[in-house]
Amino acid sequence: MRRAQLLIAILSVSLSLAAPLVVRSDYLFQVLFRVSLFAALGLAWNLVGGYAGQLSLGHAAYFGAGAYGLALFSKAGIHPWSALLLAVLVAVLFAALIGGVSFRLRGPYFTLSTIAFAEVLRLAAKNLVSITSGDVGLPVPGLFAKSFVRSLYLAAVLLTAVTLGITAWVSRSKFGYYLMAIREDEDTALSVGVNAARSKLMVLLLSAALTALGGGLYGSLFLFIVPDQVFSIDISVEMAIVAMLGGAGTILGPLIGAAILESAAELLKNLFHEAHLLIYGILIVLVVLFLPEGITGSLAHRLRPRSAMAAPSSKEPDTVPK
Amino acid sequence: MPLLGLHGVSKKFGGLLALNQVSFSIHEGEVAFIVGPNGAGKTTLFNLIAGVFHPSEGSIHFQGQEISQLSPDRAVRLGIGRTFQIVRPLRNLTVLENTMLGAFLHTTSPARAAQEAEKVLRFLHMGNIMHLPARGLPLPTLKRLEITRALATRPKLILLDEVVAGLSTAEALALAELLRRLPEWGIGAIAGVEHVMPVVMRMADRVIVLDHGTMIGEGKPEEMVRKPEVIEAYLGSKYKELGL
Repeated sequence: MRRAQLLIAILSVSLSLAAPLVVRSDYLFQVLFRVSLFAALGLAWNLVGGYAGQLSLGHAAYFGAGAYGLALFSKAGIHPWSALLLAVLVAVLFAALIGGVSFRLRGPYFTLSTIAFAEVLRLAAKNLVSITSGDVGLPVPGLFAKSFVRSLYLAAVLLTAVTLGITAWVSRSKFGYYLMAIREDEDTALSVGVNAARSKLMVLLLSAALTALGGGLYGSLFLFIVPDQVFSIDISVEMAIVAMLGGAGTILGPLIGAAILESAAELLKNLFHEAHLLIYGILIVLVVLFLPEGITGSLAHRLRPRSAMAAPSSKEPDTVPK
Repeated sequence: MPLLGLHGVSKKFGGLLALNQVSFSIHEGEVAFIVGPNGAGKTTLFNLIAGVFHPSEGSIHFQGQEISQLSPDRAVRLGIGRTFQIVRPLRNLTVLENTMLGAFLHTTSPARAAQEAEKVLRFLHMGNIMHLPARGLPLPTLKRLEITRALATRPKLILLDEVVAGLSTAEALALAELLRRLPEWGIGAIAGVEHVMPVVMRMADRVIVLDHGTMIGEGKPEEMVRKPEVIEAYLGSKYKELGL
């Protein structure tokens, strides 16, 4: 199952790399950019939220750190690509601080604390006017000089490929098994020698770095960012929903989730203007009700009902049939 | 030098004295049973040895090393494996994967961990179900899964918390037969049980009796079941007067 998923994922990323052979319009590249960017972001979130089972709703902190880091370091005269790397370092530092505190909490308390940290950063970006210009926003350098949108699209596909590679490695490594053990039962994980605190922090740092790269690319596309855009909880929620719709804790899930959600959002936006949010919401409710393990997880169950899937725990009663 | 030594170990939870001045030691390859009625402090004792709680008083030595302040993951790395009274399988992972998690303590290679896990699973007659997910397995199987996961860490001492509770006597005896072979693997064991006395009589080298957090006896199983304090704790003072 894992192998089939990986195969499909590699195939779709390769196809995405070939898109410039047929696609010409900048508008279409912009849509495709969003799809592949959120595929990468969904995969990055999936490491923490899917494999380690830590429901973070504060990944906008790292996304915003990537975008703002790129803008601020470039403003200070650093070359954009070096600025992007520095921004990633800053995001990792934030992750170390946020994780160090939040991971002391479990379940909903953890989730609430991640939201709080992202909100703190958003408010800081809004109010530290002397550094960030507040709500006025900051210009972001374009990372590419030639065929700008197409290049950014390819960069997003590349980020997806890298994140996919990391996910594939995690899903079959000792590290990945330790993360899944933490997800399933943290006390059991401790009882077999898993240093849960360290494993959770490591995977968050990894996820934050990838998310910051995504944030940088996003900022670069718009050439301009404001706090309410890149630090907003919408970004955090969207990352989580992309992964959960497709199937959290699976390799292929976030790719499917991103393809469906992002293209649907684009189509519905043109059809219904602001009402697309409503339809988006209904879609999410339907998924949570009928596909709690996401599309990939549910499909895998249907195909091989007794196969062991590395999918997050569905809430079942603890009773065991005799 | 004993494998494990407890010296005057007490544990308070607020005003409640859960364990009071408990001292005993376990030698390599020895199987000791801790018996005691519900609430006697058996699980607290296991949690202290496994590093989940730290004693309020006293010291715990493992192979001569003081371990009373260790965290659970450090304790298992020293060689103290444990099972949970209320089974805690990793539900969405297979039986094999559950057991592999223990084996990962000594290897980073999933292939090697799977090999090691398979060995342990075959020992507990679970080779035929190793690719099933843990969720939905019956309780006796999940009890065994607790043991395979702990055994795969290759412990020197294994703590079996109520490992036969909820099993029929026949199931419990079948499991006990397997556990009797633990010393072959060079493993010492402490098992806690509430009531399945046939298992205790058959398996134990030594029995430690706890009642309300206090040790009221320690010795060979056949001596212990004749001890008046033990009978009183288990059956009430009426039976002691009857001379049973």
